[in-house]
Amino acid sequence: MLTQSITILILVSIVGCILYGRRLIKTEKVDAVFGNPERAKGGTHWIIVGGSAILLVWLYYSWDIAKGFYPKSANELCQVAKINESLLGLKYQFPIEEREFKSTSIIKIENKNLGKITNEIQNSQGVNAQQKSTLIGFVNKTSQLIPLLTNENLMEMDTKIKIKEMTDELRLLSSNFQKKDYPFETSAAKNERQIAISEQGDWGITKIQSGTGSIENTIEVPLVPATNKGLKFHSAAEELTIINDKFFKLRNHNPQFKNSIKQLKEDIKIYRKNLSDADEVASDYAKDIVKIARRIEYASIYPPSALNEMQNAIIEFDNLQKAEQGGLRLVDIFLFPAGTIVSSGTSCSEQGSGRWLPKPSDTLNKFILMSKPSVGYKNIPLLWIDMMDVSKIIGFILPDWIADILPGDYPVHSSDGVVKQNFKGQVLKVVTGDFKLFKIPVPYGHIWDSFLRVFLGLVFGILIGVPLGLFMGLNRFAKGFFDPLIELYRPVPPLAWAPLIISVLGIDNTGKVFLLFMVSLSIMIISARAGASGTQLSKIHAAHSLGASNKQILRYVIFPNSLPEILTGIRVAVGMCWGTLVAAEFLAGTTGIGFVENVAKKYFQYEVIWITIFIMGMLGLLFDVTLRKIIDKTIPWRGKG
Amino acid sequence: MKKILSFLLGSILALNLTISVANSAANEVRVAYFLEWPSPNLEDMQKKNFAKALGVPVKWTNFTNGGAMTDAMLAGDIDISYSQGLVPFINAVKSKAPIKLVDIAMEYGMGGTTCVTSNASGITKANATELEGKKVAVPLGTMAEYVFDESMKVVGADRGKMDIIQMDPEEGAAALVSGDVVMSCLFGGNSIKAATAVGSRLLTVQEARDAGILGIDITSVTTKFMKENPGMLRTFIEVTHEANDRYRSGKSDMNSMSKASEMKVADMKETLSGFKFLTPAETKQSMTKGNLDAFLKGMGTPRGNVDTSFLPL
Repeated sequence: MLTQSITILILVSIVGCILYGRRLIKTEKVDAVFGNPERAKGGTHWIIVGGSAILLVWLYYSWDIAKGFYPKSANELCQVAKINESLLGLKYQFPIEEREFKSTSIIKIENKNLGKITNEIQNSQGVNAQQKSTLIGFVNKTSQLIPLLTNENLMEMDTKIKIKEMTDELRLLSSNFQKKDYPFETSAAKNERQIAISEQGDWGITKIQSGTGSIENTIEVPLVPATNKGLKFHSAAEELTIINDKFFKLRNHNPQFKNSIKQLKEDIKIYRKNLSDADEVASDYAKDIVKIARRIEYASIYPPSALNEMQNAIIEFDNLQKAEQGGLRLVDIFLFPAGTIVSSGTSCSEQGSGRWLPKPSDTLNKFILMSKPSVGYKNIPLLWIDMMDVSKIIGFILPDWIADILPGDYPVHSSDGVVKQNFKGQVLKVVTGDFKLFKIPVPYGHIWDSFLRVFLGLVFGILIGVPLGLFMGLNRFAKGFFDPLIELYRPVPPLAWAPLIISVLGIDNTGKVFLLFMVSLSIMIISARAGASGTQLSKIHAAHSLGASNKQILRYVIFPNSLPEILTGIRVAVGMCWGTLVAAEFLAGTTGIGFVENVAKKYFQYEVIWITIFIMGMLGLLFDVTLRKIIDKTIPWRGKG
Repeated sequence: MKKILSFLLGSILALNLTISVANSAANEVRVAYFLEWPSPNLEDMQKKNFAKALGVPVKWTNFTNGGAMTDAMLAGDIDISYSQGLVPFINAVKSKAPIKLVDIAMEYGMGGTTCVTSNASGITKANATELEGKKVAVPLGTMAEYVFDESMKVVGADRGKMDIIQMDPEEGAAALVSGDVVMSCLFGGNSIKAATAVGSRLLTVQEARDAGILGIDITSVTTKFMKENPGMLRTFIEVTHEANDRYRSGKSDMNSMSKASEMKVADMKETLSGFKFLTPAETKQSMTKGNLDAFLKGMGTPRGNVDTSFLPL
């Protein structure tokens, strides 16, 4: 219901906004010439169109529109898919969807293979002339096997009858299939089916596995036919499977063929037995010839027109079932773009864009589910708050060796098994944070961990990069000394460092933060340096002549002048850091958005993958918007100096 | 307006046509396999015997994990996956992928897939509960995860209390060497060799076998290929079993196998010693009521994804 209304709303808003936009163009004065930036201002309605178009494409290609408007269509298409599945093998024998008969293509391939082996034998160094002629004799005998199979007159009566039988079965199925009450279901069978329908649930249901709380993949297309139309297809598919199996058991072997191939196999066997060890090459050739003969034996090769009747029956049924689909066929073509429902024995599944592009409604449901702190992903919530004692922070800040350098010894237990605390022991407790103070809320979870890594990497990059960059912009020694180092490591893609850094600094946060630090450092240095060296000399001279000290010139002239460059550098660095972070978390980790995506990939959880992609997009946007606000607030002179 | 509309319709049509699952007729058979994971039929791969037996070219592509094999099969780039791990297969059919299990490539003890604890940590089977609260590297969603789960049950440690880090075997070995993790579960000869240089197996091969921890690698195939080319599939499995037979009777060409699996002959022999290549009859037994069947049931696999009709019995 929700999907339907949203789809309609989107369509209406797109059409409305386009109409509004066109009217606006007509009513506006055309005094701005082409190239005037005024022409790009405003245009909320185009934002709505753009956003709606994205949503619409998503709804369409994830087949959510199909699910919203025709919730039963997946189940019915699953039944159609069953027919397609059982027809697959049979159809493949005929030029229905292929270009030629299977028999034709097999004969073509085998003739080619026989020609190839003849060539090889004739040009071979390891075979003498007499052996060559024997082997080529075998090849010729093998190629003479084919006409024995394709000769209509040699075909066995029994085989003909069996083909006739199958054709009749297909015809009977076709005529039954047209009847209204096919497959003549009894009321008992119907009751049973109704129970199965009520048990199987709906299309695309998400369940939490009870107990563990982990999210299981249950993108499921209901299998049991829920509609009468579906039932028809389901029953026809069952019959077709039987016919299909019968056909593949059938062998077009007449006595003449059987004798020839038996003779050939025996001849080759005797020939190989009589060969000495030195004639290995000839023996191998003989073996390859037998292989070709055996392939011809087991392939379904029939005379050119022997299966015509059957082909017609199959085409007839195929057309019938297509006609029977009626409106469903249109739904399949238009609402299931880039793929369809595919049946595979005991299950039906979405194959095509519906598989890897989860439906917005499912994604939203799963996101809500994952946002619950009790569910999360791999027992860690996406973003939640943990109560942490302030003592832990104190313990983290104070170094542990404070306790070690105090005079005296740590308490030792007495003979009656009691430990008496002393001053040194107390201090140790304080510096390791082993005491109780008040608690404060601290955020934690996958999103927070990723955020923190980027934030720390960025902060360290700024703290070291900006002063160094300014220094390099102002001092000849610094420029010359650090330039080779920076220029050597800057052009290397940050990810190229990842495997090395993980080996050196480990898989913990240290390594990841360091990697991000490296990313942001080079950008910060370059931008700070460019800012410092770009300061107008007249401004510096003015400050100098007014009596400013070196420090004051740096603080009040050079730094504000390079701020725009630095802040732009930060914006660039944030983008680079995100990209690197996710890849770094792919390599190793226990938390973080990249980790979630990497694990979800292993379990084919496409919804989770898309959720992580959205979260990353949103966080990146958040960073960028925040920075833009900071830039507007702190450097109003940007672009005006 | 007309231009916009026709552009939109045109692009939708183009997209629909291009994305649809394309799979041409079998002018070649595309097979996925692993490096560093030797098997007798790699000799046939090296000598192009498969192409001779199937009558069409056979293209072998190596993968690093079984999940990627499934992805490639679903995208229509691979027809047959040889020696895919059972766990990735189960994950795939649980998410309703149209692939089928048609043969067992090999059964193996902990020789090929194992958990290694670092010597520096001092953790062995006896004090394995110390793993709780520490970091362990596990390639999730692979056979190694199954081995990890089962080993933890044997030694009585609680998986939920450990810090499990998702790592592929090569990185897991590196992390064990650098001391970042105290235990690393891995597969692949070279990775295990690197890991055992600084650590030792949590369970020896014999202990694992006694505990009934058993890895099974399988041959899986797309439903489409199975339906369209049953003959080729049967031949493929037949050649594989012939190669296994040759290996059992000691006639395999070890040099060509080692070349194909990119391992040294000695390392390969050691890895192979942990493998058991079943006869067709044993395979059927395992698939219908033996190890494989028990494994599938134990993991709650949907039924109807195993087909024994292609075995050369």
